[in-house]
Amino acid sequence: MRRRLGFGVWLAAGWIGLVLLAALLADFLPFARYDETLAGPPQSGPSAAHPFGTDGLGRDVLSRVVYGARVSLGVGLGAVLLGLGVGAPLGILAGYRRRATDAVIMAVNDVAQAFPALVFALAVVAFAGANLRNVLIVLGVLGVPSWVRLIRGATLSFAEREFVLAARVLGTRDRRILWREILPNVAVPAASYAFIGMAVVVVAEGSLAFLGLSVQAPTPTWGGLINEGRTLMETAPHVVLAPSVVMFLTVLSFNLVGDRLRALTDVREIGLEPVRAPAALPLPTPTHPVRDTLLQVEELRTHFVTPRGVVKAVDGVSFTLDRGRTLAIVGESGSGKSMLIRSVLGLLPGTSIRGGHVYLSGDDLTAYGPAEMRPVLGRRLGTVFQDPMTALNPVRTIGTQVMEPLRVHLRMSRRQARAEAVELLASVGIPDPVRMLRRYPHQLSGGMRQRVTIAMALSCRPDVLFADEPTTALDVTIQAQVLRLLHRLRAERDMAVVLVSHDLSVVAQWADEVIVMYAGKVVERGPAAEVFARPRMPYTESLLQAAPRLTDPVHHRLRVIPGRPPDLAHLPAGCAFHARCPYARERCELEPPPLSEDHHHPYACWYPRPGTTAEQDVRTTGADSRGR
Amino acid sequence: MAGSGTAHLRPDDEVLLRVEDLVVEFPAGRGRTVRAVSGVSFDLARGETLGIVGESGCGKSSAARALVQLPPPRSGSVRLDGLELTALRGEALRRTRRRLQMIFQDPISSLNPRRRVRDIVGEGPRVWQLPGDRVDEVLEAVGLDPATAAERRPHEFSGGQCQRISIARALILDPEVVICDEPVSALDVSVQAQILGLLEDLKDRYRLTLVFIAHDLAVVKNVSDRILVMYLGKVCELAPSADLISRPAHPYTRALIASIPGGGGLDLPPADTLISGEPPSPVDPPSGCRFRTRCPRAAPRCATEEPHIRQVGDDHWLACHFPVKE
Ligand code: SF4
Ligand code: SF4
Repeated sequence: MRRRLGFGVWLAAGWIGLVLLAALLADFLPFARYDETLAGPPQSGPSAAHPFGTDGLGRDVLSRVVYGARVSLGVGLGAVLLGLGVGAPLGILAGYRRRATDAVIMAVNDVAQAFPALVFALAVVAFAGANLRNVLIVLGVLGVPSWVRLIRGATLSFAEREFVLAARVLGTRDRRILWREILPNVAVPAASYAFIGMAVVVVAEGSLAFLGLSVQAPTPTWGGLINEGRTLMETAPHVVLAPSVVMFLTVLSFNLVGDRLRALTDVREIGLEPVRAPAALPLPTPTHPVRDTLLQVEELRTHFVTPRGVVKAVDGVSFTLDRGRTLAIVGESGSGKSMLIRSVLGLLPGTSIRGGHVYLSGDDLTAYGPAEMRPVLGRRLGTVFQDPMTALNPVRTIGTQVMEPLRVHLRMSRRQARAEAVELLASVGIPDPVRMLRRYPHQLSGGMRQRVTIAMALSCRPDVLFADEPTTALDVTIQAQVLRLLHRLRAERDMAVVLVSHDLSVVAQWADEVIVMYAGKVVERGPAAEVFARPRMPYTESLLQAAPRLTDPVHHRLRVIPGRPPDLAHLPAGCAFHARCPYARERCELEPPPLSEDHHHPYACWYPRPGTTAEQDVRTTGADSRGR
Repeated sequence: MAGSGTAHLRPDDEVLLRVEDLVVEFPAGRGRTVRAVSGVSFDLARGETLGIVGESGCGKSSAARALVQLPPPRSGSVRLDGLELTALRGEALRRTRRRLQMIFQDPISSLNPRRRVRDIVGEGPRVWQLPGDRVDEVLEAVGLDPATAAERRPHEFSGGQCQRISIARALILDPEVVICDEPVSALDVSVQAQILGLLEDLKDRYRLTLVFIAHDLAVVKNVSDRILVMYLGKVCELAPSADLISRPAHPYTRALIASIPGGGGLDLPPADTLISGEPPSPVDPPSGCRFRTRCPRAAPRCATEEPHIRQVGDDHWLACHFPVKE
């Protein structure tokens, strides 16, 4: 996956290349030497012969800026290499060896970093003499502590990874592990920091030169040029302006390229936010009657336009849901199950296009803008996600977070909200809720955090609770507690629950109805008990037989579904499952099977399973394929 | 048990790997210690698969890493075919490492993103300077096409394929014991079935002895000959798989089974009557039986006296003062 660098970065890199090239080839460029006086009339503005004009002694400013780049960039490069050369080995050692080595290196490093850097530089240069070598060494040494810190951090983060552990288990020697496993991974952050370091050093050298503490005249440096030009500010501003602008652009470019390189290595998720102005016209939807039910989803579609093509994450899903019922959505990763509920909630990345309708008690939510959607999301639709930390703010107490929706949406007073929060926390089975109000999320276990997010989701008495893999991150015994809690609350509050899960046994136990998704489409739907006992669509059947069950005999061969789910940007013609389906025939490759008309238990398949008990099927397939 | 003891260990000449009184501890800051594994013993006969099951914090992964001495345990013994691994240092330890290999949970972070599959899988032979190139052979054995897979990098593969690459890397050194730490819990159901089947095939083909660690009892039962149940750094129960699931005697094992939807076909009381509350911190584990804070059968004796492992049936062992008899 190649991410785009962006136009600005190419421009910045181009500028750096240009300055570098000019500095290297300065001797061959067709202009006067930097120290040739009266190359033109003194203090003259830009002209064809002197594009940047001339200074007080009639020297060519362009030439001086270009030669100045030699010093500035030379010092920058040298100092960065020096810092890297000393800092990287120390950082790698500290990060990889840890313990005592780490403690000693980092203690010394912290002391070094506590030195006032510029004062130190001034003192040393003033004492040892202002020349290129001294400036370079001082700036290089000053950079070492930051290099140590950066490289140690990067090393640590990779040394923890399993591939390093695996290498050690293989018997790889430490030196080879550092060289082959860690170094290549640390190189990218190091490269990005090198650019930023260049910017820092160029500025620092400029400051020193401005104070006359860098390379001495007549050799020009950017800081020195700015200093010289200072006195001519009124009569010939270009003398100051030219080196300033060049230096500014160079520093900016280094920072830009460095930042962008770092962003490339950062793996961040796409932020989810309520759909803003639609990116394109919504997808067309056929007309349909609006039913008298709590939640009605009609032909919902969510597509993403990507460079690889249109990804049909959700492709024409319809269902209805009444109060007091639990609807489960099952499927494997990439089946579109999570995208489906995000689509219902309108929580999609800005790059998506949505089509179809979502009615909540008859109100069409797809017609709502973000501002109208916000109160609906807080009050009528509650959400619980897999990772409770995404819903909790780590720096605020549980109390403030549970009380917030009560105060904002229900306009309760502080006291009322507090009392209600205590009650809510008690209702989700949190012992000692009054004390809990003052605690922070990190002080709680995963199970307790998930209970808190459930309490928050329920605070405004939503009509529908959407739970996306609510217990996947929890331990089995805690999972059972949380699911039982959801079940109880559903009855107590007469709400509907939409439960997204990959775990078929969870779904079988807690859901009334189930939707099976494959490649963005519903492939089977019906009462949970019936779908699991008598699946009609082959994918559902395979999924059931692929999941191990406690009641299966030991070493029982699970059913294997060959191949992989199709690419959502290039769906095959016909049935999306045909390449993996053992019952596929010619028609399956040509015509996509529609969802059957049967309202009770529809399925999408040309050659459905007989609908006898899956139990028997499992046994026979199991016995056959074991074969040993 | 949450108890200790070694009564369940078999004679030395019958086993390939023998772990005795394993103790793993880490500093937890502010002078405190995480007691991750506290006196756990088990053994594996050649060709056997031992499943280790338990919830997060039970010490199963710490125990796995202590087996390969990464890091070495605080105390206890790990003997591979009579060779005491905890006594080995430096080069001698490195030489025995290849006899024990590991497969990890996270298929993505198990593979170096900057190396090609051929280099990742071929690393072992290169380190050991083994003659011949077996990369293609093992890639084929794990169901990958060497022609298309070997030159690519990990990010071009799905989670299940990455896990196959990890398995190939472990297999290429012809290890005797492979320790699988939650190898399928990050995978989809259908992919999980593929990997479980693959592990069973490879076990036959390469005559492997497996330690299979997972939190999902159904998965563990599917591949294991015997199952060891752990809770908070201690052993609870050990029995042949079918026996453990059909006749669980330890209160914690019963709670674990009852928490699984369907309850394993057993007629167990609802899970909330078999277990309550949350696991205590391994920094400050309860006295006596470590399960007592959540156990419905706990009695005063459980707080003062740690239960020891004893035999309750044919190769069925457990550590509890008041086990459930049926
Ligand atoms: S339509 Fe054909 S390929 Fe698709 S599930 Fe049915 S039998 Fe299989
Ligand atoms: S009955 Fe006592 S010894 Fe047995 S598990 Fe419960 S607390 Fe532990």
